[in-house]
Amino acid sequence: MLVLGIETTCDETSAAVVRKRPEGGGEILANEIMSQIAEHAAYGGVVPEIAARAHVDYLDHLIRRALAGAGVALGQIDAIAASAGPGLIGGLLVGLTTGKALAWAAGKPFVAVNHLEGHALTARMTDSVQFPYMVLLMSGGHTQLLEVRGVGDYRRLGSTIDDAIGEAFDKVGKLLGLPYPGGPHVERAALEGDPARFDLPRPMAGRANPDFSFSGLKTAVRNEAARVAPLTKTDVADLCASFQAAIVDVIIDRTRAALRLSREDGAPPEALVVAGGVAANSAIRRALARFCGESGLRLVTPPPELCTDNGAMIAWVGIERLERGLTDSLNVAARPRWPLDDRLEARHHGKA
Amino acid sequence: MRILAIETALAAASACVFDGARSETMAQESIAMSRGQDQAIVPLIDRVVAAAGGGVRSIERIAVTVGPGSFTGIRIGISAARAIGLALGVPVVGVSTLAAYAAPVVLDKSDGIVAAAIDARHGRVFVAAFANGRPVIAPRVSTPRDAVRAMGSGPLWLTGSSAAALAIEAWAIGISAEVVSDAAAPDISYVARIGIAADPQIAPPRPSYLRAPDVKPSQPIAAPAV
Repeated sequence: MLVLGIETTCDETSAAVVRKRPEGGGEILANEIMSQIAEHAAYGGVVPEIAARAHVDYLDHLIRRALAGAGVALGQIDAIAASAGPGLIGGLLVGLTTGKALAWAAGKPFVAVNHLEGHALTARMTDSVQFPYMVLLMSGGHTQLLEVRGVGDYRRLGSTIDDAIGEAFDKVGKLLGLPYPGGPHVERAALEGDPARFDLPRPMAGRANPDFSFSGLKTAVRNEAARVAPLTKTDVADLCASFQAAIVDVIIDRTRAALRLSREDGAPPEALVVAGGVAANSAIRRALARFCGESGLRLVTPPPELCTDNGAMIAWVGIERLERGLTDSLNVAARPRWPLDDRLEARHHGKA
Repeated sequence: MRILAIETALAAASACVFDGARSETMAQESIAMSRGQDQAIVPLIDRVVAAAGGGVRSIERIAVTVGPGSFTGIRIGISAARAIGLALGVPVVGVSTLAAYAAPVVLDKSDGIVAAAIDARHGRVFVAAFANGRPVIAPRVSTPRDAVRAMGSGPLWLTGSSAAALAIEAWAIGISAEVVSDAAAPDISYVARIGIAADPQIAPPRPSYLRAPDVKPSQPIAAPAV
């Protein structure tokens, strides 16, 4: 089975071709990704209209390149899959319309994919992980702990009630005058810093509900920065190290709470899968490796290029859904807000 | 040549199949809507192509409006057109919404200036003008007043969703002007006719927004690192 996947939810444009291996898992034949980081750098964050313009400029070229790179013709593809949400509406409409029109013209089934499901199922493509397992998704737009019970069967254990974790990294980087995107720069600066110099809060720590909150932590960094300003290089490094130490503590505490919840309810996961761009942070990875060792969980960390947004994960969801007969009509709408778990609770205020 | 034309940049979703050799529209459909073109357009194209007969493989070229118009609408049409072009292996050409509005009027009027205008909000219009079928004002953003003053002494034949705004300015300064049409979207068969005449090398299906994104570069919110 061979599926073309299209991803345009945020600031990466991507097209990929993935083949299902007979023995399980997926083989990525092509995964073309065009990152728009440079286009947005001057604005300190993703500008929706700039993102949408870039998606329409690049997407069909990337699809051609993906097909050529995979060495397959569109006629050999079994289905077209495109992310339909959650994400920025302008980009979603480009990817979704492209996918539907391709499917129509080529006479192939179409699968409208939840982008979060792409992150959630990637580990089945790369590592053939069996259900149930737990996913910790940490990106610029999402912070979630998910119980993955089956294709289309997800339980959101916890989520952020304000900023996403990657957003917190980027905002802290921005307020300390570091280049965009802040995440990698904060991590680099933290290497030289003293994580104990600033006493920052660990929001939500100790609570039974495995939710996250980052806006108070970001404000605490801002207040400490204002207190010691003007900032020296050492101040910035110490602030970054203290911030990252707080983030690591929060992640481990919240993941522990999620695991407890999951085990109480009788669906104990055997693996913890990390996903999202923040999963590239090595301090977080080290702490999660230690936590999984203590908790008897297998830690699955897909390669960095599959942790951030990409078309291969969308193609893989296309394979999983097509196998189960789950296809969509050509008038399907984009869903800028689309929780994986329909049992959404009010406390999240619609935040992902 | 058999061409499929697609238009979603304004307040409608439209498509037609047009036969160039017979100069005849084989099938067309247009639904008025200011949003939701992303959901409507592919099923609409499917109906039009089915009604035209000959199947999807009989299409030899795609034409699509590239703006000016709604930024989102422009991208929906172009995404659909490029994808179909890719799947069928046929060329895709871009057509200006303003040219599509003006085309039937240009064919009909031999004197004066034909101008097309589309609402660009904030008291402005997207506008283009033609004399003897040749462009005299290239597509631009303008106030209706400045646009009319650039058109000379008339008479003016006006078309487009903001044709009336130009007419009011023209009458105010004593220029003869007539609103020929103020349709919410151009006649899709003229998108097809222009598309057949266009050279794919010089009319790529690339957005013509005529406006930059409305954003400003940011500054650090605390003292920068020393």
